[in-house]
Amino acid sequence: MSKTPILKIENLTHVYSKGTPFELSALNGINLEIGRGEVIGIIGHTGSGKSTLIQHLNALIKPTEGKIYLDGKDINESKQSVKEARSRVGLVFQYPEYQLFEETVYKDIAFGPKNMRLTPDEIDVRVRASAQFVGIDEELLERSPFDLSGGQKRRIAIAGVIAMLPEVLVLDEPMAGLDPAGRREIMENLMGYHRETGNAMLIVTHSMEEAARYAQRMIVLEHGRVAMDGTPDQVFSREKELKEMGLAVPEMTELAEKLRGCGLPLEGTIYTVEQMRDALLRLGGGRQDA
Amino acid sequence: MLKDITLGQYFPGDTVVHRLDPRTKIVLVLVYIVAMFIAESFASYALMLVVLALAISLSRIRLATVLKGVKPLIFVIAITAFLNIFYTSGRVLVEFWIFKITEEGIFNAIFMSLRIIMLIMGTFMLTYTTSPIMLTVGIEQLLGPLKVIKVPVHELAMMMSMALRLIPTLIEETDKIMSAQKARGADFDTGNLIQKAKALLPILVPLFISAFRRADELAVAMESRCYHGGEGRTRLNVLTMSGRDYISFALAAAVLAGVITLAHFGL
Repeated sequence: MSKTPILKIENLTHVYSKGTPFELSALNGINLEIGRGEVIGIIGHTGSGKSTLIQHLNALIKPTEGKIYLDGKDINESKQSVKEARSRVGLVFQYPEYQLFEETVYKDIAFGPKNMRLTPDEIDVRVRASAQFVGIDEELLERSPFDLSGGQKRRIAIAGVIAMLPEVLVLDEPMAGLDPAGRREIMENLMGYHRETGNAMLIVTHSMEEAARYAQRMIVLEHGRVAMDGTPDQVFSREKELKEMGLAVPEMTELAEKLRGCGLPLEGTIYTVEQMRDALLRLGGGRQDA
Repeated sequence: MLKDITLGQYFPGDTVVHRLDPRTKIVLVLVYIVAMFIAESFASYALMLVVLALAISLSRIRLATVLKGVKPLIFVIAITAFLNIFYTSGRVLVEFWIFKITEEGIFNAIFMSLRIIMLIMGTFMLTYTTSPIMLTVGIEQLLGPLKVIKVPVHELAMMMSMALRLIPTLIEETDKIMSAQKARGADFDTGNLIQKAKALLPILVPLFISAFRRADELAVAMESRCYHGGEGRTRLNVLTMSGRDYISFALAAAVLAGVITLAHFGL
């Protein structure tokens, strides 16, 4: 892992429909550094600016003010830099299955690499590799994407972005609308991709549990500002503030808070079942010793 | 970008013009159009201009907004003016090469362009001050008598209101799909015409699929709420004509009569 951040966001501000009565300020002076290979969960209320922020990262939206640097280079500098940003920062939108259009799964996954002007051999390698990453069988590659199930379509759409081998993979609610098993599987697939390639991943999510389980770092947005930025431990220790923002804290954090209210002196930040178990055992152990 | 389309946009408000019965407004616009075509003198144009100004000021819609509706048609207006200036015979003012500018030509050009601009502004006043739903209700009721000769008026109106309802949704959808494909490196701006047309495929296919899906969902939603066509269907808000509607009818009749009289005396 190199020391310089892969993405650096400097004083990013975005105002929609500037100069009209519909003026709406979505981002207010965001400063962030995304390190190489980091897995980050981005959390925020609806309208907190999450979607606006991530669309800046590959120059789909131009900043009203501020700069975004990819590997030290301003991504909005020229047409060339925009193109580069689009292939190095992969963006998977919400419900990506609605963007499938090709006759076969293979062709759809190949759309991104083809736009990068790779050789057919290289494209073939990438399509097969990314299909494997998301758990799509080889035999499905020649089927029409429209014959497949919702969960499979979602994977194919994600594979379509992974096939570009982006150094930063940004996913907007990749698990929305899937059943728990499907959610878990997709997350495991994505984490597998992350481990194998070492590429950074930014996951926008509403689910605190999932963010806590997979991310090393969490960024909480509120009203277009970074409200919190730190490890899950640090973020969940500020439970009251999270609740004030209208965000649901993980169930275990909630339970720990209630138990503390009943007089159980649980220690530390608790947001997983394991942490709860350990804290309870410590407590029980303490009593036995006494 | 796509969201900035103003055609047929409705500006909510609570003015006399907004509160007029949609049927009244449709009839008034028809009368206005007829009068615009009858008018052909300074006096009658002045009268129509007063009517338009009155409507705009009563509706409290900014003049700039109304003028914006004219913008896409500037080219058409310019061509009309151009043809009228050079192809009207009469007293020649300036002459060069094969072109002749006549006094009548200049007047014609001014009148014709003014007529087009005023027609557009007047009809836009209808869509600016009437919500699409009210507009379809108005059309449905006005066309009601055609049911006798088996015109499916209700179905047509329902289709129209659903189409109108889906326009913003589809625009939003297009925006989203475009962004998603751009994120995969799609390029919509470079290349020749054929390449550009081909580049639209990744947008059009998902857009059509989602339009069909939405139509299907809407149909199911309507049927599960027992929709079965217009037969015996009543409205929550029944349109009723009130005093202001009758007053505006009287005014419209007066203006129309005025314009006809002016035209008759050739003023």
